Amino acid sequence: MKLHKFLLTISSVTLISLLYVHQQTEIVRLAYVGEKKTVVFQELLDKNSILRYNIGRSVSLVQLGSKISGSANYEMPGTYRLVKLVPSRAVSRAGAGTREKGSFLARFFSVKTQAEAKTLNP
Amino acid sequence: MFIVFIIFLLFCIARLLFIQFFRSKYLSSIAKKQHSLFVELEPRRGTIYDINLKPQAVNIPVDSVYATPKETKDADKPNIIKQLAPILKVDSSYLKDKLYRNKSFVWLARKISPEQSEAIKKLKLKGVNFIKETKRCYPNTYLASQVIGFAGLDNVGLEGLERFCDKYLKGEAGFALFFRDARQKKLDIWEDMIAPRDGYDIVLTIDEFVQYVAERELDKAYKTYHAKGGSIIVMDPHTGAILALANRPGYDLNEYAQASKDQMRNRAVCDLFEPGSVFKIVTAAAALEEKRVREEDKFFCENGEYRIGRHTLHDHDPYGTLTFREIIENSSNIGTVKIAQMLGPDIVYRYIKLFGFGSKLGVDMPGEISGIIREPRLWSKISIAAVPIGQEVAATDIQLIAAMSVIANGGQLMKPYIIQEIKDKHGEVIKEFAPVMIRKSISLDTAARLRKILTGVVEEGTGKMAKIEGFTAAGKTGTAQKLEDNGTYSHSKFVASFVGFAPAEDPQIAIVVTLDEPHPVYYGGVVAAPVFRNVAADTLRHLRAESNN
Repeated sequence: MKLHKFLLTISSVTLISLLYVHQQTEIVRLAYVGEKKTVVFQELLDKNSILRYNIGRSVSLVQLGSKISGSANYEMPGTYRLVKLVPSRAVSRAGAGTREKGSFLARFFSVKTQAEAKTLNP
Repeated sequence: MFIVFIIFLLFCIARLLFIQFFRSKYLSSIAKKQHSLFVELEPRRGTIYDINLKPQAVNIPVDSVYATPKETKDADKPNIIKQLAPILKVDSSYLKDKLYRNKSFVWLARKISPEQSEAIKKLKLKGVNFIKETKRCYPNTYLASQVIGFAGLDNVGLEGLERFCDKYLKGEAGFALFFRDARQKKLDIWEDMIAPRDGYDIVLTIDEFVQYVAERELDKAYKTYHAKGGSIIVMDPHTGAILALANRPGYDLNEYAQASKDQMRNRAVCDLFEPGSVFKIVTAAAALEEKRVREEDKFFCENGEYRIGRHTLHDHDPYGTLTFREIIENSSNIGTVKIAQMLGPDIVYRYIKLFGFGSKLGVDMPGEISGIIREPRLWSKISIAAVPIGQEVAATDIQLIAAMSVIANGGQLMKPYIIQEIKDKHGEVIKEFAPVMIRKSISLDTAARLRKILTGVVEEGTGKMAKIEGFTAAGKTGTAQKLEDNGTYSHSKFVASFVGFAPAEDPQIAIVVTLDEPHPVYYGGVVAAPVFRNVAADTLRHLRAESNN
């Protein structure tokens, strides 16, 4: 009985020790994996910030200005020269309504708003 | 045999006890050194943005190259030198000197470009390694160079706002105690860590577009008139927020090592000059505020020559009788001096101080100077004929625009400022800078009357070239003679200036333009006024377009 207890204790201690060692090696292994991923991640982040900087620099007024000034005399256009391309709410709403109405009627009476095209000589 | 064994056992026990009680501290420190690595964690230096959050100064990660001469074989060194020299653009002797040192670490080049880094990495040279660092970069190269300044190799601010706000921008370094493996390689496990505190971001009141326009127009005038220097400030007269500030000569912030001290000087804040006729606005304001004159009161302008003591004062055109309004519109020296004589030195001096001359305004930029205004008790007999027309006094551009803003905004002297707010990396505002009124200088009524008179300067007077298509403008021209070394006024060196605001009825911007020693033309109305016109036109259209959006 005593031997049995002794062996059980020894086995438990050995198992716990092995688990501890395994845990430590896993930590180190994961640290290596983490390190590798960090390097890749950092590299990507660095490239991203360099890219963003280069884009920012390319579209800066200084760059654009120096390119334009060689060919034309750029100046901020007056309000009367500006054309707004965004449709007004009323127009867009009216347009949407017409489209919906047209398609609903077409569906209901099976009348197409446009002639259907068919390929005659495939 | 047993006794020997017992003695050996006792010796071992004694040794173990000795190590445990007397050597443990020392040995554990050695062990800790072997498996721990102390790393200083560099904080990110804060970004400088314009008012629309467009970056003006950023940090980008770059590589620095170092070598380990002790670990590199001598046979490999000539090859390393031969291959690295053309990429790093350095002389072979420089690399030779570095690589043949008896050291375990030497810098070969700090903060190289990504292209250089790629080229060196492809070579796969033994004993040549890289360390990641951050480099301060300025996407707009020369834009607002004297305002922003630059940070050096170790990311420490050396000039301009980079230096002035270094305590906010630099952040605080952190540290970490990383574990190392048997090969001394750093593991991604740390025993102890204090994270670095990144530097705060700074948002300026500068608008990149307005700054670009101001620089472009100033540069044109600077080159056309072969000026020695030039400055321009665009300001919101109601708040004192500086929308643009430029100086010439300028420099590329990314190549600051090649710039001279003269190019780095923020002339608009640091340089003094006799303002000349633009200073007449103070005398005019004093006369109206003290109710000593009305716009249509007439003064005889002595047909262009007026003797005061042994000094003869001239007008550029011989005027007979002019109204008060016409005196300012035509910039008559004699008329202005007669008004000043009527007021007396004490009143003139009081208004000069009320308009902010002779003392620092407290602008948040380094190097601001107070200017020179002498007290009336120190005036000579002819000072009353000099001070009101901007002689015997010295002022800065920032003082001139602040004074003109008093008239534009209804009589308040606002403190000019260039930092809008300081934020942390999460966007939380750490410090906010609100407009500050220094004092009420003149009444609303006087300011309105002066605005009309100064509109006349642009419509009918010396500032016709400042007229803006589609907008009204008001302002005052100045052509000040510079002092020669012998103390007499020069007949060939002038400072041409124009200070004004637009639109005249509802001012949105105030602008001061000065050009130092322009030639062959040197009149403020010809040299500086067109710069005002072009900058004001583009700025007002830009502001209008922004408010419409």
